[in-house]
Formats: sequence, structure tokens, C-alpha cells
Amino acid sequence: MKQNFKNLLKSNFNWVTLFALVLFVGFVDPNFWRPSSMLILLGDIVPLFVMALGLTFAIYIGGIDLSAQSMANMITVIASVYLASLGMWIVPACILTGAVLGACSGIITTRFLVPSFISTLAIGMVCYSLAQWLSGNRALYMNAEKRDALFGWMLSSTGIIPNTIFVGAGVFIFVLVIERKFVLGRRLKAVGSAELAAAASGIKVARVKVLAFALSGGLAALAGVIFSIKLSGGAPSIANGFLLPAIVAVLVGGTPLTGGVGGVVNTLVGTMIVAVIRASMLYLEVDATHQQMVFGLILITAIVFTIDRSKLTIVK
Amino acid sequence: MLEFKNISKEFGPVKALSNINFRVEKGEIVGLVGENGAGKSTLMKIIFGAYQADSGTILIDGRQTRFTSPRDAMANGIGMVFQEQSLIGNLSIMENIFLGREHEFRKFGLLNFQKMESAAQQQLSKVGLKVDPRMQTFDLSFAQRQLVELAKVLTLEERTSRDLVILLDEPTSVLSEDEVELLFNLVNNLRSRAAFIFVSHRLDEVISISDRVYVLKDGEMVDEVSAQDADPAKIQSKMVGREIESGYYKQDERETYNEKETILSLKNVSKENSFESVSFDLHQSEVVCLVGTEGSGREAVLRCIFGMNNPDKGQIIYFQNDKIKIRSPFEAVNNGVGYMPRERKIEGIFASMNIAENITSSQMEKYSRYGFLHLTSEQDLARDWVDRLSIKTPSISTDCGRLSGGNQQKVVLAKWRSSGAELMMLDHPTRGLDIGAKQDVYSMIREMSASGVGLIVVPDTFEEAIGLAHTIFVMKDGACVKRFAPDKERVMPIDLVAAMT
Repeated sequence: MKQNFKNLLKSNFNWVTLFALVLFVGFVDPNFWRPSSMLILLGDIVPLFVMALGLTFAIYIGGIDLSAQSMANMITVIASVYLASLGMWIVPACILTGAVLGACSGIITTRFLVPSFISTLAIGMVCYSLAQWLSGNRALYMNAEKRDALFGWMLSSTGIIPNTIFVGAGVFIFVLVIERKFVLGRRLKAVGSAELAAAASGIKVARVKVLAFALSGGLAALAGVIFSIKLSGGAPSIANGFLLPAIVAVLVGGTPLTGGVGGVVNTLVGTMIVAVIRASMLYLEVDATHQQMVFGLILITAIVFTIDRSKLTIVK
Repeated sequence: MLEFKNISKEFGPVKALSNINFRVEKGEIVGLVGENGAGKSTLMKIIFGAYQADSGTILIDGRQTRFTSPRDAMANGIGMVFQEQSLIGNLSIMENIFLGREHEFRKFGLLNFQKMESAAQQQLSKVGLKVDPRMQTFDLSFAQRQLVELAKVLTLEERTSRDLVILLDEPTSVLSEDEVELLFNLVNNLRSRAAFIFVSHRLDEVISISDRVYVLKDGEMVDEVSAQDADPAKIQSKMVGREIESGYYKQDERETYNEKETILSLKNVSKENSFESVSFDLHQSEVVCLVGTEGSGREAVLRCIFGMNNPDKGQIIYFQNDKIKIRSPFEAVNNGVGYMPRERKIEGIFASMNIAENITSSQMEKYSRYGFLHLTSEQDLARDWVDRLSIKTPSISTDCGRLSGGNQQKVVLAKWRSSGAELMMLDHPTRGLDIGAKQDVYSMIREMSASGVGLIVVPDTFEEAIGLAHTIFVMKDGACVKRFAPDKERVMPIDLVAAMT
């Protein structure tokens, strides 16, 4: 009985953490418990959530995508520049750009055996530089008319529910179906669980990995699109501060750096934890300059608790 | 002077060593022989302090001691020359010799390399190696590196007041005959400095150099003979002699295979550094076992057939069809070739995936449409195979990492059986399994053979090979040297050993 309870607690650690945090912040400031304020909180975190969902796939196969933030940055610039000419097509164009660049990271990793942390870091630099070049290193504004006509709905609410939540939910369902119902999702799991066994089962491991990074890149781009619509503009460093919380969201949710377990549901919980932590820092009046410090510490804690040491022989 | 009494060691349910008694006298050379998996390396690791015995005592000069680490063992005068050499290639010879003890050459916090060089020179002269101690280690030949390693171990002379015991783990496996002779002369000359424990599977060499020979079998010390009256044939039979109850390998279920239907044909296939010019045919329903020592190239043959490696020369013809070309596991699986790897936990099983997911991992196309998985038919399949192979599991959605080794192996077999593989490669399919699970694996091999599958097995023991196979090929140094047909003639383990060594 006691053992069962312990196991239950362990396998649902992310939910327990979430509820404990919600209770805690609520006690500090009961306003936090109001459904409307919670919904606003969730609506605000949607771009980060979408980025974290993409990162989940990279981490699920045992890799990492450090280009996600620069990708989103670049996409805010692209979206701001081309919204006027492309209109609605800006969304698929941006996602495609992200997916292609993500696939490049994947190809560099699988073909040339460059570890993903370095290939994605390098692709991230390319994105950052492209963004600077495209924007002339300035903040850009979107064509307000077009934005309001095409995407204005995203900024309003249905009842007390901010519409961005519906966008987040849609993306979430899409990736959940990929993970649980698609052959691709199963292959991703197989590669993350035991890459050599996957190869020995005739799975084309390299292709699966490339697709994981393409998904990550595409979703990071979508995060960039949503973010730029919210801000009605873009700049080469506007999404800075996304990467660390997004990685935290994946890991705190329970997808370890070693891959193979967890998934997008875990990332949903993890993102909510990140949202609550952010809000709590607001309520507890933690200085904005200290926030990344908190996330850095949480990141290390999360890795220490989630990593599967049986898969690691050497760490450098 | 060094004595081990009643040493036992278990790894989970597997008894690696039981009640081992072992002693080494001053200046003595002791041989240790046994077939693969007999427990040689476990015993070595206990002697060297890398493992701790579960029970038993270690005596040095009659006083009881304990080694909790190799460091401890070294402090007590025990050194080891590793089979996989432990030297670091990009360091110089002297840096390797004094690795971890650089502080002895420290002067005002800086290293005095001159002093280190002369100290290294002194060590190298013990083993008669004339090279510049400042040379990079990877520029040395294999034999030279082995001498450096020995010199490194001999630094123990200056470090402890104890008498030295040096373990030599398969020191001759990659040496030429001349080099072996040089090494043996050196070891003989070093007798005044140290006692040696010589571990090898080359029986003739062990007998020629040792004073006494210990024979290890299934984790037990089955014989101890002095080298003068050592009879190689007798030792060989002790190494392998095991009373097998009849039917252990389901021999009565071994049916004749179809000699007319060749399903795999190797023609002079070579892979550099692994095997050379291997040719044989595999027929429908036939079980072929590849027998040989570690490094004889058996596993590499399996991997080449499965497309994980590609041969440099020669031709592999699958199912009498010239058009089938297999260059990757993907192509192998698509053409009905399956592979059960040796490292079950790394290459065989997906620990964080459930039974159903494991079984369909090689055949997702069959259980999906337009990229969508057909989850219910997948679960039906898993349920069916859990019943057929009586896989012990709480449910079909249990993660395979939580199953026992035998049940994991059954899941891997279920994967290939259900996908209709007609050609199976099994690399050590019973490794680490208990007797019951082994028998289950034997039954499955018989069942596959009966239904027309051709199997190539790299077995764990000679008995397993003789019990299972229609045909045995003995491999030695990458070549197929001999063929046996245990289904038609009586083959004894000793015949296999004789062909191997």
C-alpha cells in the first residue's frame, strides 16, 4: 500500500509539483486562484508552450535543439516583413522555413556525426544573423491592418478564455496524435528508447532523427509566428529568454535528456509549472533580472532528477 | 603467499563463481584456463579488486585482507596487464607509466620531466624495451605497448614492500609466435621479481609456461594440475565436460532439414579485421552454429548477413535470388531476415516501450495505414504472442525494461516470429538466462526450425552448439576451419576445442 502510494507519487511527480506550486502561490496571493487570472496566465505562455512542444521531440530522441529561440526570433522578423505581401500564407511559409532549417541540423547531426547541441547551436547562429540582416537590426512593426484582419481574433477572448489558448490546444492535439497514433511517433520513441535496437529492427534511424529536428524547427517557427502576432512586430532578439524556460518545461515535465520516455503530455504539465513559477516570481516580487537565475537553477535540478543514468557511460 | 578461499560471486540470479580456491606462491607462474563464460574474467576482477566477492576470504602471507578497489589491490602488490590495453595513446610512454602518480616528480608545483624520463627508462629496462620514454604511445607496436604496460605494473616493486603478483589477461591473443616467445622468456626472467597469473584460452601456451594450471568451468574450479603431468586432452575434457541430461537441448525435436532448399549462401565473404573468405550454405529448417573463441569473427559474420556491416569482398546470396541485395538492417528486415543481438538490453529490447510496441517495432508498416498506427490489432498481436510463448508479464502494456531477461528474449523472438522472418541470426541467445529460460529459447529455436526458418546461432557453450545444431562451423582467426554435423555423427566438445586451438 505504502509502496503503491510511493510509486504513484513518483510517476505523477510533475502533476504533484504543479498542484503544490498552485496551492503555494494561491496562499501568497488568493487572486491567483481566480479562473480568469489563471486563464490569462495560460494564454500568455502559448508561444513558449509551442516551442517547448517542438523541443520535446528533439529531447525525446535523446538530442537537443538549441536553435529554437533564434529560430523564433528570426521568424518574428520574417513574419513582420512578409505579412503584408503573403497574407495568410505567412504561417505555412514560416513553419516550412523552420522545418527545413531544423532538418538541416538533423542532417548535420546524422550525416556528419556532429552532436545535436552543436549543430543546432550553429544553425541558431545562422538564424540570428539572418534576422539581423533582414531587419537591419531594428525592431519592425507588422502591417496593422493585415494583422487585425487576419489574426485579430487571436488577441481577443471567447468568454473568459483567451483565444491563444485554442491555438495552443490545437497544436497540442496535433503533436499528441503524431506521438501516439503515427508510425513516426512510435519510431521517435524507439530511437529515443534504444537507438541500436531501433537500427537492429530495421528502422531508418537517421531519417527519424532528421524528422524530429524538422518538427522541432517547425514548431519553434510557429511559436515565433504566434509571438510576433501578439506583439504586432518582430526583432532579432525579441524572443530571447524563451530557450531556458522551454527546456525547463520539457525536463520538469518528465522527458529526460536521455530520451525515450515522457512526451508532449509531460511538456504540457511542465509548461504549466513554468507558467506558475513565472507568475509566482511576479507575486513574490522577484526582480526581472533574477528570473533567468531561478530558471537556471530549476533546470539543473530537473536534469539531476530526471536523467536516466543507466544510459550514460561518459559525460563531458 | 596469495590465497583465495571459498570465493563466491553472484550477479542477480546468475552464479558467476562458487567456492573458488586459488593460491599463488612466490615466483610461481600459475595458469588459469576455462571456456568463454566459465568465470575467468570475474575471478580476475576479484583478484584485482575491481569486483568484491560476495563471500570467501583473501589471505596474503596468511593474513586476511580485503580489496575494495584496484588501488587497494595494487597497494598489496597485485597488478594487472589488461587484454584491452589500458594505455592512453596520446600520452607519452613515461606519462603512461606514471599515470596518476605524477606528484612523485613534482618540484615547486611543476613536473620534473627529466626525472620522470630517467625513472621511466629504469622501468623499461626491466622489460628490456629500448625506446625513447618521451615517445607517444600510439606510435608503438602492439607488442611494445604490452611491454610498456608490464613495465607500468612493475613500478609496484618500488611502491610496495609486498611480493608482486601480476595478472596477464590473454596476453598472447594478438602476438606473433616470435613475440610470444619473447614475452615468455621475459616472464620467466621476471620470476625473481614477481609471481604471474596467466589467463588464456590457448591451452598449449598455458601448459608450456605455467608451473601449475587451474581449470575453471561454470564458475567452479574443477581441476588443479601441475604442468609436468598436465595432459592437454584431459584438461580440455575438464574444461567442457558437462553431464547433460538427455533432451536438455530438445535434441529429439531436431528434425532433418531440407538440403535441397538453400536460403542463404556465403561465397568467399571477407570483412577486414573480422573474418576472411568465409563460405557456407544455410538450408531451409537448418540450424547452423558458429563456434570459436572471442574475436574469431563469428559475431561479425552475423552482422554482415544482417546488413549492419557490409562485406569488403565476396558475395552473399539470399533465398537463391541474385536480386536481393542487403546493405542495411532496413533492407534485411524487408527481405525477411531477423537478428537477435547479443547485448539484449542495448540492441535487443526497447526498455521504455511496452510489449506490443516492442513486437511491432520491426513491422510498423503492417500495423498501420497512411502512417496511422493500428493500435487494436497491434494489441491483439501482442496478446496472442504473450500466450503462445507464455511471456510472464502483468499486462501487454508493461514496459519491457521491467521484464526478466528470459521474457525480454521471448519478446524479441516474438517480434521476428510474428514478422515472418525466414532467416534468423541469433547472437548468444541464452546469455545470462537461467536454465528454465534457456530451455524456452531452445524450444523456440526448434519451433522456428520446424516451420522452415533457417537459423544461424552463435551459441554460449559447446554443448549448446552440439545440442542445437544440424551443422557446426568452427571459426578460428576469422576463417571457417572445420565443419561438423552433430545431427549425423557424434560430436564431442573436445573435438570442437581441438579445432579451435
